[in-house]
Amino acid sequence: MYYFQKVQSDTMKVNHEKCGYCGACVGVCRNMAIELVENTIIIDDEKCKNCKLCAIVCPLNVLEE
Amino acid sequence: MRELTYSYDVVVVGAGPAGSMASYYASKNGAKTLLVEKSQEIGEPVRCAEAVPRLENFGIATDSSFVRNYIKGGYLIAPNGKRIVVKGGTDGYIVERKIFDKYLAIRSARVGTNIAVKSRVIGLDHNGEGYDVIIKHLDEEYVVKAKVVIAADGVESSVAEMAGLKTKKNPKEICSCAEYEMVNAKLLDKNMMEFYFGDVSPKGYVWLFPKGDTVNVGLGVIDSKKKAIDYLNEFLENPILEGRLDKATPVEFKCGGAPVGGPIKKTVKDNLMVVGDAAGHISPLTGGGIYLSMDCGSIAGEVAAECVKKNEFSEECLMKYENRWKEKHYKNLMKDLKYKNILQKLNEDELNAIADAIDGDLEDIDLKKIAVKIIKKSPSLLKYFKDLI
Repeated sequence: MYYFQKVQSDTMKVNHEKCGYCGACVGVCRNMAIELVENTIIIDDEKCKNCKLCAIVCPLNVLEE
Repeated sequence: MRELTYSYDVVVVGAGPAGSMASYYASKNGAKTLLVEKSQEIGEPVRCAEAVPRLENFGIATDSSFVRNYIKGGYLIAPNGKRIVVKGGTDGYIVERKIFDKYLAIRSARVGTNIAVKSRVIGLDHNGEGYDVIIKHLDEEYVVKAKVVIAADGVESSVAEMAGLKTKKNPKEICSCAEYEMVNAKLLDKNMMEFYFGDVSPKGYVWLFPKGDTVNVGLGVIDSKKKAIDYLNEFLENPILEGRLDKATPVEFKCGGAPVGGPIKKTVKDNLMVVGDAAGHISPLTGGGIYLSMDCGSIAGEVAAECVKKNEFSEECLMKYENRWKEKHYKNLMKDLKYKNILQKLNEDELNAIADAIDGDLEDIDLKKIAVKIIKKSPSLLKYFKDLI
């Protein structure tokens, strides 16, 4: 039943080395899944619905699936 | 933190210009006020091009600790290189935001505001009379009682959303920005801003804001193919600069999202007000928001204190805030939104045609008058400007 295997994760991930911690992604997340705590963007995998809106507004291309 | 162990009339969330002005006027008018800032440093991280209007209008001295440069006007530069000089109505300052924001917070503390730093609001519970504001500080949770909460938490806009208002933004309404603060740039004029339009920055513009020893070189884009940082790196090499940034080198990097979709529909509900970027108090055309945030913050603080005196915190009572800011700014915000929507549709040829239609300097940016001139010279552009004239 290999087709049940996930090839991609189903929530967004942050590349912390690239992130400029501006919080633009937080402002578009209707599921309140993203938070900026000091200099770190934290995504709550339970709340992330993988809508990818956060990736659109990121100035640095930090958010990926 | 002892500030988090008391109960307050007013709890302001976010120590940017909106929050510090709101807490200043709340405290000054007698309300027991707490200003909550989630970062350990007020003013950090900076996500701004740092242009502010004349501060004298707010009764704030242009203190040398944060004012870096006086700005007398700007150049609007078309893709073909045509420069249009704008003077008057656009003067102001370039400030060091991290010092400016702290200055405003100190000013607020001096009239009695308590400030909690490194303190993050993680929940809001309505308790019938006001809000229990759940605040995390150094891994400890505090419950702070507030009769009124003022959400000034910026583009992140989470606090009012927790209370059930719609403050989260549409991605197409967020201008995605990147900026280098650079040394050794050659400027057209050390007291004039430079704005570049066209494919260099789709649906936005590039800015060069002279900051004394440095210059903020940045841009904003909306829903673009590439990321803001890619356009910025490309722009540094653009021939339109005639090599003026060839020797420039950065001393700071800044990025951010500017909510340029116009104000949110509802900025009050029982026991809660929204101000600043969270409320969309930012010009959709220019992305400038300091003046609006400070002014709307001031109104929110005054109204909060009035409601404390009346001991009445219903939406109806707080609506005075929404009515006052709308009366003063709504028309201009919606006008700027309309202009932005026109500007976004123009291609480089059309931008060049507009620039070529303007003779001489502009005294102010009265787009209605400019539109009439443009259409006389280039009637084909009427389709964009017919709503303006």
